[in-house]
Amino acid sequence: MAEVTITSRTRAGGMRKLLERYPFLPALAIVVALLLLNGLFSPNSLSYRSLTGLLSTYMALVLLAIAQTYVIYAGDIDLSAGSILSLVNVAIVVLMERWGGGAGAVLLALALGLLLGLGCGLLNGIVVAALRLQAIVATFATSIFFTGFALYILPVAGTPAPALFWRTYGGRLLGVPFVFYILAVLVVLLLVLSRTRLVTQLLAVGDDQQAAFQTGLPVVQVRIKGYLLCGLFSALAAFCITGDTASGDPLVGGRMTLYSVAAVVLGGSALSGGWGTVVGSLLGALTIGLINSVVFFMGTPSEWQNFVQGFAILVVLMAGVLAGRRARA
Amino acid sequence: MSKLKLSGVSKAYGATLALRRGDLEVLAGEVHVLMGSNGSGKSTLCKIIAGSVRPDAGKILIDNRPVTITGPRSARAEGIGIFYQELSLAAHRSVEENICLAALPTRSHLFVDRALLKQRAARYIQLFEEVAGEGFSADALVGNLRPDQRQLVEIMKALASEAPILIFDEPTSALDRAQVDCFFEILRDLTWQDRGIIFISHRMDEIKAIGDRVTIIRDGETITTLNLAETDATSVIRLMVGGSGDMPASQSSAPAVVEGKDGAAMTVRNLSGRGFRNVSFEVAKGEILGFGGLHGQGQSALLRSIFGAGSISSGEVLIGDSRFDASSPRDAIRRGCAYVSGDRGRDGVISGRPIIENVTPIHYLRDRLMIARPSKLRDKVVPALQSMHTKFQSLFDPINSLSGGNQQKVIIARWLVDRPDVLLLDDPTKGIDLSAKADLFALIRQLAAEGLGILLYSSEDAELLGNANRILVFNGGSVSRELTGTDRTRYNLYQAAYEAA
Repeated sequence: MAEVTITSRTRAGGMRKLLERYPFLPALAIVVALLLLNGLFSPNSLSYRSLTGLLSTYMALVLLAIAQTYVIYAGDIDLSAGSILSLVNVAIVVLMERWGGGAGAVLLALALGLLLGLGCGLLNGIVVAALRLQAIVATFATSIFFTGFALYILPVAGTPAPALFWRTYGGRLLGVPFVFYILAVLVVLLLVLSRTRLVTQLLAVGDDQQAAFQTGLPVVQVRIKGYLLCGLFSALAAFCITGDTASGDPLVGGRMTLYSVAAVVLGGSALSGGWGTVVGSLLGALTIGLINSVVFFMGTPSEWQNFVQGFAILVVLMAGVLAGRRARA
Repeated sequence: MSKLKLSGVSKAYGATLALRRGDLEVLAGEVHVLMGSNGSGKSTLCKIIAGSVRPDAGKILIDNRPVTITGPRSARAEGIGIFYQELSLAAHRSVEENICLAALPTRSHLFVDRALLKQRAARYIQLFEEVAGEGFSADALVGNLRPDQRQLVEIMKALASEAPILIFDEPTSALDRAQVDCFFEILRDLTWQDRGIIFISHRMDEIKAIGDRVTIIRDGETITTLNLAETDATSVIRLMVGGSGDMPASQSSAPAVVEGKDGAAMTVRNLSGRGFRNVSFEVAKGEILGFGGLHGQGQSALLRSIFGAGSISSGEVLIGDSRFDASSPRDAIRRGCAYVSGDRGRDGVISGRPIIENVTPIHYLRDRLMIARPSKLRDKVVPALQSMHTKFQSLFDPINSLSGGNQQKVIIARWLVDRPDVLLLDDPTKGIDLSAKADLFALIRQLAAEGLGILLYSSEDAELLGNANRILVFNGGSVSRELTGTDRTRYNLYQAAYEAA
């Protein structure tokens, strides 16, 4: 009897160690389970082709979730991430169109798009960290501002992106779909970023802001840099959405903000800060994508789809919480 | 040679003076002990030196050179390292990351140099290798460590600053004997390197063992600096307490023994839980039982656990003759137990709501009230408030419009609508003014006279001495001494709290 309890305890301890090192494991398990579910309802949905389609559709959400992760690391939140995405989306589409849609125009527009994303991030960072306004309300306010700016640039959705741009995004390079290159570069980029001093500092600030201040960390600068990273990745997300939809839409990102927050939480990060991984957020975003795909392939009537989606996200969230609690017990 | 010199440093938070006039001179190569009772301003003084609190006035000299410290970063640049009493660790980071957090070693200014970080942290971890205990390793998460191990990490972090001036604000409160000895060996090494060390502890034997000189602070003012070799514990405690140390409690002292005519109001037998162990006592009806001792020796944890808000691992609690053992505060309230915390913001005030709503929640619970009619409630609420001379304009003003003292009166009034059998007071007068305190204690005595059993923990010894019939002195989570009758003097209370730790 005693032996049994001891083994189960060491197993729980080992699981806890594993979860501490890889907090995204429950998210990974959920993604695998959802893939299997997808295959069950429609074997066709596991084909190379449909997985590519899934990835190119949800790559924008993946990047937006990663953007959100860096501010959540520091215990902040960015409710304007989706609006930054919309703003960059319409800005680059309009610029590309105005400059003729050639390769040079596309690259120049993308560079300006990145700067625009960084600028939005800087504004958020100053408002939240330097002026010490409540992150949740302050970024909500800036989101309205960014949306207004996007509507000024492009009042109605519909301006098409140049064919060169969306054909590249949706096309293949050396026989491999372009999104896989994006995924590969992204993984390398995330690995590099995870080794930076900034990420450690962000996590330390999110863990206990007062302690970080007393340790002598430049808390305000660190939080601003978190928002800069968020702006940068929101701009990258905008590039993907532009490639996927091939047009400009000033309201495209509004709905995505809270999805990005949900993805971060599904990925095992703590909303209170100090704890999490970007890989988890990537998996969290894919989870949301896969849930939508399961709901579609199950043949849910359209009037029930929202209901099923919401319910599925709650179930997945619950599963993650239970996995974490069992490992900690 | 003077390493650090402070003169006339002061700090006020709003109307409360945390530090009136702090003077301190630390020499190179000495361990300088700071002593003073709870809330005398020691920690504030340390935080001013470390830059996490900005002083209102005063001068700071380092190596006889005047400096302005604008924040923790500039303090580090001036060569000051600090161990914070409340620790400054990131719970989800590893031990080695925490040790090096203030100055992460980097490659090309961007990436953390893991190898160098490991190597640098290992130097400090190795100092405590023998005594760190099970489960301590460089890559363990700080949040998973025991309290004493966390304290060791904070010590390592302070040492890793390699600063010429080091401040240790109660670094030994959770450490065991072997860990303390190991730490003191390291401190002695540091003094040979001519560093200046400021050391705060409440354990007299430790101070004797490590200290060279002692500066005594009382009520935010530096009293004097003495050579520890030329003084003894008695005179140090006498200086901390002030002139009135030998006076018996206070003229308005409560009677020493309560005739146990009605039997026990509450009996606690061998109660253990998180923060306290093996506590037994009995409080008679009409008795005020005081809990004394240094802050955080288990008094609050015990009171919260009795009220069902903490954890109890063994032992039992009885109210009257029946088992009580509340599983939750809700349960405790239903069965006639009341709890008032000094931390009003966390445990008492329903922020932003009217006064009447702040008086009535207990009444709702005990009477299973479903529908509230303000006009009817008023008849119950007003007498409860008036019994303490609570000042308010209208029952429907938000509670935040009142002063701290009046807010606390409202919180206490909520327990007076339906009388409890036992009242647990957890440092109830924290941060409230003198006249409100007087009103509160007048009421508490009156409640005792009406037959309530009262447990009173106070961080201010004068309140205990002036109101408690008996005082249990807590030390390290258990009762170390009981003071009754004429033993209840300031001197005895201090001595019991400080010596045996």
